[in-house]
Amino acid sequence: MTVFSQSVSPCGKFLAAGNNYGQIAIFSLSAALSSEAKEESKKPMVTFHAHDGPVYSMVSTDRHLLSAGDGEVKGWLWAEILKKGCKELWRRQPPYRTSLEVPEINALLLIPKENSLILAGGDCQLHSMDLETGTFTRALRGHTDYIHCLALRERSPEVLSGGEDGAVRLWDLRTAKEVQTIEVYKHEECSRPHNGRWIGCLATDSDWMVCGGGPALTLWHLRSSTPTTVFPIRAPQKHVTFYQDLILSAGQGCYVNHWQLSGELKAQVPGSSPGLLSLSLNQQPAAPECKVLTAAGNSCRVDVFTNLGYRAFSLSF
Amino acid sequence: TGLSDHEVIRKRLLIDGDGAGDDRRINLLVKSFIKWCNSGSQEEGYSQYQRMLSTLSQCEFSMGKTLLVYDMNLREMENYEKIYKEIECSIAGAHEKIAECKKQILQAKRIRKNRQEYDALAKVIQHHPDRHETLKELEALGKELEHLSHIKESVEDKLELRRKQFHVLLSTIHELQQTLENDEKLSEVEDAQETIMEADPKP
Repeated sequence: MTVFSQSVSPCGKFLAAGNNYGQIAIFSLSAALSSEAKEESKKPMVTFHAHDGPVYSMVSTDRHLLSAGDGEVKGWLWAEILKKGCKELWRRQPPYRTSLEVPEINALLLIPKENSLILAGGDCQLHSMDLETGTFTRALRGHTDYIHCLALRERSPEVLSGGEDGAVRLWDLRTAKEVQTIEVYKHEECSRPHNGRWIGCLATDSDWMVCGGGPALTLWHLRSSTPTTVFPIRAPQKHVTFYQDLILSAGQGCYVNHWQLSGELKAQVPGSSPGLLSLSLNQQPAAPECKVLTAAGNSCRVDVFTNLGYRAFSLSF
Repeated sequence: TGLSDHEVIRKRLLIDGDGAGDDRRINLLVKSFIKWCNSGSQEEGYSQYQRMLSTLSQCEFSMGKTLLVYDMNLREMENYEKIYKEIECSIAGAHEKIAECKKQILQAKRIRKNRQEYDALAKVIQHHPDRHETLKELEALGKELEHLSHIKESVEDKLELRRKQFHVLLSTIHELQQTLENDEKLSEVEDAQETIMEADPKP
């Protein structure tokens, strides 16, 4: 089994995980973290069949869980799911150019200011969907191969997308145009041609961006488009995020890597899966006692790190 | 019955917990009082009386001890209450300090992050040469360019002059050539005319 995606509930007490069979499992973090937790608390409280293909990406709004994989995005009500009533609220499919094959959706991104959702994946475009009406408002074209990951630059507001064509593209949402392109593989500091040029993971902190995949994991200063720090790890990274003064990354290999912006590896914490595909930090203000880092990948387990320094226990499908 | 035995044992233990025999003593006192009332001789009565007094004082002593212990326990309880409250206060204080320290840690992490971002950019900037240097180099290059273009201009002017002079020279040579050719042709014609007149003198 492979777990591709995770999402924390708006109340912060539950975690949804999506796997390659199209199932979504809901775990109760508060039960698993409590002092009376037993073995059953580490199993899902409910598992349901969500998609016909793998669930590649999930996000949560303040009331809904949105999941996507096989070309469709579906919406579920968290309140219903927690009561074990697992019927989808709605499903939408972005307007694809060919109706023959339905490309998969690899990444979802919420734009809270606009109340819209960005979807990107196999058809090389970014589609923007209004969450209130369900209509698809724009399609951003520019990538020449499928898109793996999205990130939101809140200050501007701009969306960053990274994909198989090796480029990170910045899109201005208001003008629906590509405003900056960074072809990572063309910079010799970070390019690793033997791995390929694909960008597998992306994260941004408004002025800075970190991305990795085929090329080495690198920190970029966006305004000057310069790579400032290359992180010395050979394994391609599949998920990266900024956290406080650190950068957390995970990918091939069972470790969650903690980096300082200077390029030093502060810690390498082993997880229980041979490879990791997704990291989730529960920072919901309503549940500070459930503030944990969860990591999932090439196994049926979701590792829970209560203190970032070690793996406390694992939830399991 | 078994239950009432339990109760009886419990009550006896409560009354006479430390086993100093107070309960037995009081019973003995009652018996000796009756004995003393029924005593025959003066001596027997007096000795019985003494015995009773001693038993009484023993009881009083025992009671005094128990009261003191009770007082001590009360004061001990008060002391523990006080310590308990103090510890609660210091726990609350420690919680506050922890919260404060956590805030400070977050602030320190932010500062560290900013510093590292600054360092990262500074490293990149260092790779580029200093602006003053570059400006100076630009100025020097500009001057060199000017100087070289002056030289080029003067060389071109010289070339132009030479070209004109050669042109004048060549055209003069050409004219001279033409003039010489014309002269030659004229003298040829004159010679030819002379020979015809000599060969055929007409009367």
